[in-house]
Amino acid sequence: MGFKDKLKEELFPTIWCPGCGIGLIMTQLSLVMDDLGLDEGNTVLVTGIGCTGRMGGYMHFDAVYTLHGRTLPVAEAIKTVRPELKVIVVSGDGDQASIGGNHLLHTIRRNPDITVLCNNNEIYGLTGGQAGPTTPQGTKTVSSPAGTTTTPVNLQGLVNTSPHAFYAKTTVYHQGALRKAIREAIAWPGFAFVDITSQCIENNGRRIGFPSANEMLMHYKREFRPAPPGSSALESHQLGIVRGTPEERAPAGVAAPSGGSPSRGEAGSGEGEE
Amino acid sequence: MARRLLQGNEAVLLGALRAGATYYAGYPISPSTEILMRASVHAADHPEFRFLQAEDEIASANAIIGASLAGAKSFTATSGPGFSLMQEAIGYAHKVGVPCVFVDVQRVGPATGMPTMPGQGDILQSRYGSSGDYTSLVFYPSSVVECYRYAVEAFNAAEESLSPVVLLTDAFIAHLNEVVDLDAIEVEVKERTLPALASGQTRLFTGVLVYADGEPATADADEYLRQYEEAKARRLTIAERYAFHEYGWNTEAETLLIAYGITRRICQPLASHFALWRPVRIWPVLERELREVAARHRNIVVVEGNDGQYAGVVERVLRRDVARVPLLGGRMSLEAVREGLARLGLLAPEAVGPAGAAR
Ligand SMILES: Cc1ncc(C[n+]2csc(CCOP(=O)(O)OP(=O)(O)O)c2C)c(N)n1
Ligand code: SF4
Ligand SMILES: [Mg+2]
Repeated sequence: MGFKDKLKEELFPTIWCPGCGIGLIMTQLSLVMDDLGLDEGNTVLVTGIGCTGRMGGYMHFDAVYTLHGRTLPVAEAIKTVRPELKVIVVSGDGDQASIGGNHLLHTIRRNPDITVLCNNNEIYGLTGGQAGPTTPQGTKTVSSPAGTTTTPVNLQGLVNTSPHAFYAKTTVYHQGALRKAIREAIAWPGFAFVDITSQCIENNGRRIGFPSANEMLMHYKREFRPAPPGSSALESHQLGIVRGTPEERAPAGVAAPSGGSPSRGEAGSGEGEE
Repeated sequence: MARRLLQGNEAVLLGALRAGATYYAGYPISPSTEILMRASVHAADHPEFRFLQAEDEIASANAIIGASLAGAKSFTATSGPGFSLMQEAIGYAHKVGVPCVFVDVQRVGPATGMPTMPGQGDILQSRYGSSGDYTSLVFYPSSVVECYRYAVEAFNAAEESLSPVVLLTDAFIAHLNEVVDLDAIEVEVKERTLPALASGQTRLFTGVLVYADGEPATADADEYLRQYEEAKARRLTIAERYAFHEYGWNTEAETLLIAYGITRRICQPLASHFALWRPVRIWPVLERELREVAARHRNIVVVEGNDGQYAGVVERVLRRDVARVPLLGGRMSLEAVREGLARLGLLAPEAVGPAGAAR
């Protein structure tokens, strides 16, 4: 065994541009899956439309490559019907936060035990680099020649509207933090969202002044810092994990226990260990 | 259980359960909402039956697709505006080959329209609502007992054809109460066909045209045609097993009425004056049967709760003009039918009035 068994290497090279960050996410996901013994008999991948969504086709799993924006209802239903499976969603920022935003809002609220890896490249990669819901304000893109004027979606804030959810922030440069975030997200008994800053060199990075993918990675290295242990929320450019309180789940068909709404738990640093 | 009073929507739910459905997702919209509510009640004391009141119809449609791939027989129910929101997902289910059932309880549209007057305006939407070319199986019952029976057949057809099957009803049938004896109805239930997710394979369920290994075939017309023809042939072959229709009333009459769903029931008092042909399988059109029946009658009139949606289809199949009696704005009544037929000169005006012979 080894993480390469998770990959359909016969299909390589992938369709992704040289220097794209998506492959780094696929590698770390494969490593974690190998560690955790996740295979085609116990795990299903659900991906959206976009460059990121292509990942399902490169991995040795049953993969549901859904419509644009529709990963979450598909994933939640799979988990509902087959609670014994691990259900892992991989999709882009546009897929999750724009066209799929309503599903994100409500899936957070319902708190199914699924894991979402969001490749947050801050752009619509596949369609050629239009501004997306997480594009930083002021960014010039092919659909915002004078710079975007809107406030980006606050993914952390959105996820943390649930007292039970798990939110992790990492970048593809911080491979240890990325792996830790993926592993803990998969282990989390409820909705877990991993917000992964990564580079779309081709349809964003070069246009905003990065000469190479490596320069983007170095930028992440400089900009991001681990959050101090115990923080209950992450500042922008902090890496870490913010966990809620796991939801007490009643067995199917039995009413959930009543009680006050639990408060959020403590944040920890996502960096370190590995 | 013997005879009982049952509502059309309830019969749809019971039919789905009889067919082995174990997953429902939906979003409230009249006149379909009783199906959602009954499903939630059923789920409360049947843990094996899973229920989701989703955030919208887009989520509902995609959730039943996920549930089906995971191994559950699944369904949703909605009405016109919600059915429109589901169309992209229906196209996906066609492309991927996902067995599941979409119930559309029609009301008057477009848009929010006339909630919740009965209509039959989604006939073409149920066939052509999603983008691209695909082959749909659509059934439309005419009574409460048929809601039960054809709900079962819709699930069976979905399993056999590996496609999303639409069960059309309307506000009228949905809220009709009739005495039925479900135990007296014999139904056959088809088993699941698609191996559930995570059964050890590494398949890619995608709406993108891909080769067997998952590589995109997005510029390969030959591969497109190969897959398209294969799916079409499968659905047409399976559809042959579900060729439900009815021909009767006064078969000696010069005029043939074509009416389906609730409209057939509305026309019933005219049975001595006209012949009737009623497709239950609305799509694919029962072309051979329609041609045979039409050849025996001089006049053909399509009576329907829309402005000629099926009439146009009948004209294409028969390559001849047919007359139309559109019942619009929720005015689906015997009076409206009579007026329409009198306008066409096919029913004596005195028959239209309160003292009329066909009253
Ligand atoms: C309903 C629908 N609308 C639009 C598109 C076109 N489209 C495909 S991918 C995409 C955006 C992708 O951006 P993101 O989700 O961030 O993924 P990335 O390519 O950046 O990984 C769009 C708009 C589509 N496929 N379906
Ligand atoms: S366009 Fe951007 S996101 Fe898509 S593969 Fe290329 S670099 Fe990656
Ligand atoms: Mg993106």
